[in-house]
Amino acid sequence: MKRFGGDFWSGLALGALGAYIVLEASGWEYLGPDGPGPGFFPLWYGIAMAGLSLWLIVSSVLRAQPEAVDWSGARRALVTWVALALAVAAFKLVGFLAAFTALAFFLVAMMYRRPPAKAAVVALCITAGFYVVFPLALGVKLP
Amino acid sequence: MDVLSGLIQGFAVALQPVNLLWCFLGVLLGTVVGVMPGLGPPATIAMLLPLTFLMSPAAAMIMLAGIYYGAKYGGSTTAILLNVPGESASVVTCLDGYQMARKGRAGPALGIAAIASFIAGTVGVLGLMLVAPPLARMALAFSSPEYFGLMALGLAMVVLLAGRSMVKALLAMLLGLWIAGIGTDLFSTTDRFTFGQLELLSGVDFIVVAIGVFALGEVLACMEPRTEAQALPVPRGLRNLLPTMQDLKDSRFAFANGSILGFLIGVLPGAGSTIASFISYGVEKAVSRRPEHFGKGAVEGVAAPEAANNSETGGALVPMLTLGIPGSSTTAILLAALVLWGFKPGPLFIPENPALFWGLVASMYVGNLMLLVLNLPLVPAFAQVLRTPAYILYPVIIGISIVGVYSASGSMLDLFLLAGFGLLGYLMRKLDYPAAPLILGLVLGGAMERALRQSLMMSEGSLSILVTRPISAVMLSLALLILLIPLFGKLNAWRLRALE
Amino acid sequence: MSNKLLLAAVLALGAAPVLGQEFTPTRPVEVVVHTGPGGGSDVLARAVALMIEKEKLLPVRMQVANKTGGGGAVAAAYLAEKKGESHTIGFLTGVWLTNPLTSEKANVTLKDLTPIARLVLEPAVIAVKADAPYKTLADFVNAAKQNPGQLKQSGGSITSRDNVVRQQIQQVSGARWAYISFPGGAERIAALLGGHVNMMVIEPAEAGEHIRAGNMRVLAQVTESRLAAFPNVPTLKEAGFNVTPVPQVRGVVAPPGIPRENVAYWEGVFRKLSQTESWKKFLADNQFEDGFQGATDLVKFYDEFSNQMRGILKEAGIKVVR
Repeated sequence: MKRFGGDFWSGLALGALGAYIVLEASGWEYLGPDGPGPGFFPLWYGIAMAGLSLWLIVSSVLRAQPEAVDWSGARRALVTWVALALAVAAFKLVGFLAAFTALAFFLVAMMYRRPPAKAAVVALCITAGFYVVFPLALGVKLP
Repeated sequence: MDVLSGLIQGFAVALQPVNLLWCFLGVLLGTVVGVMPGLGPPATIAMLLPLTFLMSPAAAMIMLAGIYYGAKYGGSTTAILLNVPGESASVVTCLDGYQMARKGRAGPALGIAAIASFIAGTVGVLGLMLVAPPLARMALAFSSPEYFGLMALGLAMVVLLAGRSMVKALLAMLLGLWIAGIGTDLFSTTDRFTFGQLELLSGVDFIVVAIGVFALGEVLACMEPRTEAQALPVPRGLRNLLPTMQDLKDSRFAFANGSILGFLIGVLPGAGSTIASFISYGVEKAVSRRPEHFGKGAVEGVAAPEAANNSETGGALVPMLTLGIPGSSTTAILLAALVLWGFKPGPLFIPENPALFWGLVASMYVGNLMLLVLNLPLVPAFAQVLRTPAYILYPVIIGISIVGVYSASGSMLDLFLLAGFGLLGYLMRKLDYPAAPLILGLVLGGAMERALRQSLMMSEGSLSILVTRPISAVMLSLALLILLIPLFGKLNAWRLRALE
Repeated sequence: MSNKLLLAAVLALGAAPVLGQEFTPTRPVEVVVHTGPGGGSDVLARAVALMIEKEKLLPVRMQVANKTGGGGAVAAAYLAEKKGESHTIGFLTGVWLTNPLTSEKANVTLKDLTPIARLVLEPAVIAVKADAPYKTLADFVNAAKQNPGQLKQSGGSITSRDNVVRQQIQQVSGARWAYISFPGGAERIAALLGGHVNMMVIEPAEAGEHIRAGNMRVLAQVTESRLAAFPNVPTLKEAGFNVTPVPQVRGVVAPPGIPRENVAYWEGVFRKLSQTESWKKFLADNQFEDGFQGATDLVKFYDEFSNQMRGILKEAGIKVVR
């Protein structure tokens, strides 16, 4: 069993998106009484997308060696991303200030391995800085 | 009208102390607004409108225009330092500007951006002053088929922005086209790809994608190494923080190319500064003797888009002042301001209000000089930002991205999209998909579809309209030529060598 | 920093004497518009805010919030979400009525919001380029009949008044010409002046300058009676086309579920505004018609307008979902 690389999987994902676009676009009017309809343009780039991703998939399968992508650090990046997504979800519940402080604390303490006390100070300072610059000085609303 | 006497009259207006003060206030505010991602000139000008009723129209116009071109100077700062595009036209500046910063050349990058902005800003005003009325007439020759040609030419730049794989660059561009298509169809009110979300009816805001893919993608990628990444090197000493003579020499063609292209594209009401910066970057790379440096911190790669971005301002004022036709949201609100002040913008505006027009022109010379003086000393200060340790810098970038997006739209959904595009940006980086074509497709997609469909409405469905009109035919052939470059064996070898 | 100073200055200006009423706003009022800065509703809202400030009709400042997208659907949904909120109002246009007729997603209609007042009716004129061969609207329609589909008109989206006027004239005359949508008013004018289209429906104030400069000619006005600025231009009926002119309407709504006295308060503010000299000058400058109606009349207008539009859209072959 051959292992497939990133090209294969991303090609598959984009191919699926291309197929979805073509499917949706074919449901809309292609040419109307006053000119091309809403389905006109998407149909064509959908087809192009499906075609190009097929090319990508085929060429990746034909290649002997899957291209080397270093995934060793990806776990840390994904953890960061999950923390960010959770913080954004929390904005509505606890407000920007609390959620963002928590996010900053997490990043400094867990990702950069600083002592919790230092991380707390850094997180509070950053959030306070945002509060002073944006809502107070510039009148920009925070989430 | 006699240009010289007009200009003397203009400087008499612009150099009045009170007008100088408003001009300074305008460019200062503009710089601040430009540095802040999300908060753009249209919103700022709209916010300040009530205040302008206490001022003379000349002073008000001078200040508001100052915000407009001042913001263009500020936009490059976060792009170069943090990979956060402050406004749409700064996306291109990220490509080489951020790479320069990573190599410890943030100072020269910021400096060259300020100098390019100054030169191009001045060229833009010169153009506005000398050729405005005839050029505005010529711009009217552009209609949908010509805009389609221009957009196609812009999209063809994908070839020059591609990394190792042309297929991946094209796929990234198509993804951009798809994102541009999300929302209500302009012509038929059909909802497309909205997944039942009411907020998606208005489409995905460009700034969300740009900040997500560029800034957050970069932050995520920088989180990878377990050992802490070293803070970016910032050389000490003022000498190392400003562009060298060699930098200026390398950029001289970029200054000229960006200034002229930016002005010409700015005059077209349907184009805009983003496409101007993309095209001038592409031209710069195509004619460069060392295209292999682009994307890796080439100083010309900062100079060309920044120049284009700034001279576009002068260009965009041409149709607004000579015909009363605004080409961008900022000029639209400037036009609205003129109406609220009791003026009648239109073809007779300049002949009937010479003092206002020439005062504005003269103030733009003064304002550009002020901006240069204001921005160059800030370069060393801004460059120090990069000394910040990573564990503080990255949370701050995340925060700026969130606040920037939220201040632009006030929508929670946009924040989720921002997080999503951050992940997309990270994955694209890992899988070697270039990000710039995605942005290119996104920026041009909407305008391109519109222009194509309008063209076909004009021709009753016949595609021949695109090639029977000379201007669009020329542009489409150019686009085709650029797209075919990789097919020519010799040129292809050159391209591959360039990438090694 | 200077931004904050300016803000403070604006705030100080807004501090006007408090009116003796049961309800008075205590904090800045949010004014929701569906266009971006510089668009029609946005400019009107900002002009109204200035006039209200100048005439001291409100004790607080008005802040314009741009909720663009979906042809007004996003702004309407935002107002609906603000149920019971007494410090938010919105500026409506005819699009808020026509859009829900054709878009299923736009599920907040004006019926779901609290009507306050109708403010203006914007007339329109039919213009061609000055060097065009058509001297009258009949010339244009006859030329369209002889060359079916060859003549073109530039306009907004298909539910906009521009297209409604086209559909009406096509129906009574049997002629047909192409319609090309441009999202911005500027592009429509550019297309006409550049000779890419032959005709457009344009607001009189916008056309005025181009007529004065000799770039445009007006063939007819989309009004019941002649406008003061165009005494020699026939109305549609006078030009021989028996259609009911559709006005572009602009008015004020509030979120659902606000107390009766609040409605009365806002209606009062705008009634007073409509009687001021600044307002009359504003209408004259822009060649708008005073279309003031109170809340009760506005509801009746909703129905009349929606029914008229429904009929026109159906006949034009556009899918009507409500």
